[in-house]
Amino acid sequence: MALPKKIKKNINITPGPVQGHYPYGYNGIVTPNRREELSDLISEHGTMLPKSVLHADLDRGMLDFVKDDLRTSVSGKRVPVIDRILTLQRWGEFSKTWSFSDNDKNVSLPFVVVVRKPEVQPGTNPALQYTIPDRKQFHYAKVPTWDGNRKGYDVYKIPQPVPVDIIYDIKIVCNRMRELNQFNKVVLQKFVSRQAYTFVKGHYIPMILSSVGDESVIDTEERRYYQQNYQLQLQGFLIDEEEFEVTPAVSRVVTLLGGENRNSKVNDTVSTKTKFEFGSSPGSTNSSKTYVTNVDLSLIRSSNIQNYVILINGNQVDEPAMVSPDDVVTVWITKVTPTDPAWITFQETIVR
Amino acid sequence: MAKKIPITRISKFFGSEDFSLEQDIGMEWLHGDMHFTMVLFRVDKKLSDVDDVYGESGVEEIRYHPPVEFNAQVEIADPQNKSYAGGLVNNMEPGNMTLNVYIKHLDELGVDISYGDYIGYPETETVMRYYVVANDGRVTSDMKHSIGGYKAFYRTILCSFVNENEFKGI
Repeated sequence: MALPKKIKKNINITPGPVQGHYPYGYNGIVTPNRREELSDLISEHGTMLPKSVLHADLDRGMLDFVKDDLRTSVSGKRVPVIDRILTLQRWGEFSKTWSFSDNDKNVSLPFVVVVRKPEVQPGTNPALQYTIPDRKQFHYAKVPTWDGNRKGYDVYKIPQPVPVDIIYDIKIVCNRMRELNQFNKVVLQKFVSRQAYTFVKGHYIPMILSSVGDESVIDTEERRYYQQNYQLQLQGFLIDEEEFEVTPAVSRVVTLLGGENRNSKVNDTVSTKTKFEFGSSPGSTNSSKTYVTNVDLSLIRSSNIQNYVILINGNQVDEPAMVSPDDVVTVWITKVTPTDPAWITFQETIVR
Repeated sequence: MAKKIPITRISKFFGSEDFSLEQDIGMEWLHGDMHFTMVLFRVDKKLSDVDDVYGESGVEEIRYHPPVEFNAQVEIADPQNKSYAGGLVNNMEPGNMTLNVYIKHLDELGVDISYGDYIGYPETETVMRYYVVANDGRVTSDMKHSIGGYKAFYRTILCSFVNENEFKGI
């Protein structure tokens, strides 16, 4: 009897590669590309250290999330979002809502507003809970240093971020059910996987939809309007750069020593000149001299000489040629014009 | 220019001339006899240096239009004796201030009182109390604010006390 078509006959029980870069899975040694990418996002446009993530940054992240990810349009018109976390300062309200206010300076419907509950609770972000006690600093990065003399590196240490939960009420106030429906659709689609993320200074901060409530005013004798409240819990964390620690680690000193190649107690030098002359015959290409003191020979100037070689006792030497007493110095030359006379003058620095 | 609609209600007994007369008599009494003078500090919402996230400003970061003196009928509620921490950290401060101000007076001064503006009230020669507008009374559709239902002529403005941490004058 044949097997039903839906039953797989061949199942690969070998787990597939974690990522293309690691065909045999993460090897625990080389940092995965994605992790490096995330690390780069965190330290982008700054130092090697992460930037502070504080309450205001998380609030900004929530506002950006509502403004961009929960963007809602009805009949081609976008539902405006009050782009501020409203606070006690009274005049601040109008300064951010004037663009969609009526003649009585009341906000025109529909609109969306983000209200933060002032209290911030200890966090429930599972990645961060109670794993390192007492604000202990831990290694974040080693950064090479060079101050012109010393090469080394600094160790950057940071404490564990502080997990926080912040509750936001995202309220839509409108007059029509279709506006409610549209906003509801956008929110539920966003949170269909329970979590959504906002992006704060290189960190992906998760948030969950806690509840959906209705606060509509549907009274017979008063102005009616819909108001619904979507409560989001942002599971963030605080990173305070005031707590970072930078300590110097190993450094290497480069010491350069220079010395002379002879034992000279007195730096005073006495020098003379000697001129080797060559006749106009083409065969006149060498000249010799026997020295009685220690001298160093170095070229001063020459005439009609293409190149030359210095020999001391028949051995070729480089300049400055160090000559000892009784050494025979021979200079071989190649003339530029073989039929003209030539000469070459050396400085003789007497070595004491 | 907005279309104007003539007001003809109670025209058998009352008209625009009567309205003006009543208003001028009232203003003469309030401004001339009572002469309660206050200083209005209007917040310049464009120039004030506000926070990107909260739209807040520090005391030194709020910018104001030039202060304007104006007259109004003043009523100040009893001082409030409260505390910050459930009976501890006593805090006694002035009660709310209610102002009744002629709309014509504001028009003549060329100013408007808005929600969140600050008002200084010279309580004594040496003490100036400051209040923030909590209800600018912009909507005057009720009968109380009109003369016999003819037309609104004053605004009722409710203000609450502010301490120096929020506003300390100029």
